[in-house]
Amino acid sequence: MKRFSKYLLLALAVIFALAPVYWVLTISLKSEVDQFAIPPRWFQFAPTFEHYYDAFVVRSFGQYLITSAVVSVASTICALAIGTLAAYSLARFRLPYNLDQKVSLWILSTRMFPAIVTAVPLFLMMRDLRLLNTRTSLIIVYTAFNLPFVVWMMRGFFAELPRDLEEAALVDGDSRLGALVRIVLPLVAPGLAATAVFCLIVSWNEFLFALVLTQTDAAMTLPVGIAGRVTQYEIKWGVMSAAGTVAMIPILVFALAVQKYLVRGLSLGAVKG
Amino acid sequence: MSIVFKNINKAFGDSSVVDDLTLEIHRGEFVVLLGPSGCGKTTTLRMLAGLETVTSGDIFLDDKRINDVPTQHRDLAMVFQSYALYPHMTIAENIGYPLRVRKYPPKDRRARVKRVADLLDIVPLLERKPRQLSGGERQRVALARAIVREPRAYLMDEPLSNLDARLRVQMRGELKRLQHQLGTTTVYVTHDQAEAMTLAHRVAVMKKGKLQQFDTPMNVYDFPANRFVAEFVGSPSMNLIDGGIENSKFVTEGFSVALTKDLETGRNATLGIRPEHITISTTPSNGAAAATVYVLEQMGNETLVVLAAGNLKLMARTDADFRVAPETPVWFTVDMSRAHFFDIDTGTRVT
Repeated sequence: MKRFSKYLLLALAVIFALAPVYWVLTISLKSEVDQFAIPPRWFQFAPTFEHYYDAFVVRSFGQYLITSAVVSVASTICALAIGTLAAYSLARFRLPYNLDQKVSLWILSTRMFPAIVTAVPLFLMMRDLRLLNTRTSLIIVYTAFNLPFVVWMMRGFFAELPRDLEEAALVDGDSRLGALVRIVLPLVAPGLAATAVFCLIVSWNEFLFALVLTQTDAAMTLPVGIAGRVTQYEIKWGVMSAAGTVAMIPILVFALAVQKYLVRGLSLGAVKG
Repeated sequence: MSIVFKNINKAFGDSSVVDDLTLEIHRGEFVVLLGPSGCGKTTTLRMLAGLETVTSGDIFLDDKRINDVPTQHRDLAMVFQSYALYPHMTIAENIGYPLRVRKYPPKDRRARVKRVADLLDIVPLLERKPRQLSGGERQRVALARAIVREPRAYLMDEPLSNLDARLRVQMRGELKRLQHQLGTTTVYVTHDQAEAMTLAHRVAVMKKGKLQQFDTPMNVYDFPANRFVAEFVGSPSMNLIDGGIENSKFVTEGFSVALTKDLETGRNATLGIRPEHITISTTPSNGAAAATVYVLEQMGNETLVVLAAGNLKLMARTDADFRVAPETPVWFTVDMSRAHFFDIDTGTRVT
């Protein structure tokens, strides 16, 4: 009985999580007639790829996909490069007046206000820099927004690593940077992977800034592109679902590929290896 | 290489960890820094390695002041208590790491790694990862990484403390032999007086950041500079008895003994006697003091007896075949020619 209720709960959780995904997937494969059939056609419908053709060949969703990929990957790399170095110094070096603690907290505090607060200032800054409707503007903004997260997560991973290892490397004749690259980074690789996945997901799904900063097909990301199909006259459910399905795939593949690291990364230090 | 600490002070915030330490270590010498935990011995070693800054004072390597030389340019090798093997590298890569960062050609690197692996008998382990090794094996690898190049000195921070007792004694012997073979200046930190006695050319005993005595192990044992050293070095510890000097006798409650040294009458002093300088007999004799057996500890090769004389408890060493029941009355004599006297207030040696 106990076992049964356990599986029942699990089944409910799975349905709750996956039903919307299933709905999007089936809508993307249904003809417009089937989409609105009542009662809904859960399984029996003739699959069609017309919406995919419509989205990626007729309309510019291919372009949005590329923009999303470029912006996500570039901002993740930038955030990791800057954030990892910052996190390492904050984890390892003591500054006078507890400044290291204060700086860490100050970095975190940039995530404490709602993102929309910065939308207008950022729009004005990007306009003055003539970066509106460019991928560069999104890369800069996403990097800035991912940085606090990278710093705090990586700081935790560094702090858990015994100092002995770096000290041994220094005594062995390596420089600080050499010890970081040859000893520390390989050891926090699982943490790095987990952080990277998180940044990628956040950037990939980001909607608000993409909406504010980009209006042209050339610079638009997938989420904005998809939302744009809700228009005054019609809602292109098929096109939106097709694009939404495609948008899910890269994150899914990436998360599966680094799943091993993700679990290890999030529980790093819990068990001594 | 010679190492000189000159008036070294180290403080973390307001708390002083090393207090005016001056120490001169000769080329090729094996010096052990000995003391209880918190005495500043590890901090001293870390300052020498450049892993801690010096608050004031100077450190010299071969007459060159190195206070501001960063760790990686000091050309020292260190064995950490935790061994600090790089977990993601094989044993061969671990040992070869100091050579790699110094840009030795790969061929030369392999040859040197092979040579130290031979020396330390770890050739079969070379392709494994640290986590596949036992504690004793990791210890050897840490040593191998230190000696793979010819550093100017070896620094060792309690390298044997994580090993089990049997392995510790074995590695202790090997370390001593190794240092003798290589002849490299070594500074070794430990809280284990047996390691200090067996390994060191000279022992520096420290307490609360202050150097207590710096001498050969035998001199530290036979002529401890103060009460602390007397008690810390030697196992079981030296018996310390507070009392007074009266008419060429040392007198305390329940026990008095004739002096063989001249000490001024009327002063108070602490008498120190090592357990092996107390002789026990089951029959009374002239000049022997009476006591009862409190505890008997049979070690196999010898027997340790705790004697109760009045309020005093004295540890004595006797032959393995000395067997009496607790509470048995016995008589003991003290070899006063081997006794030590310490000032009762300052603890410093009087004679």
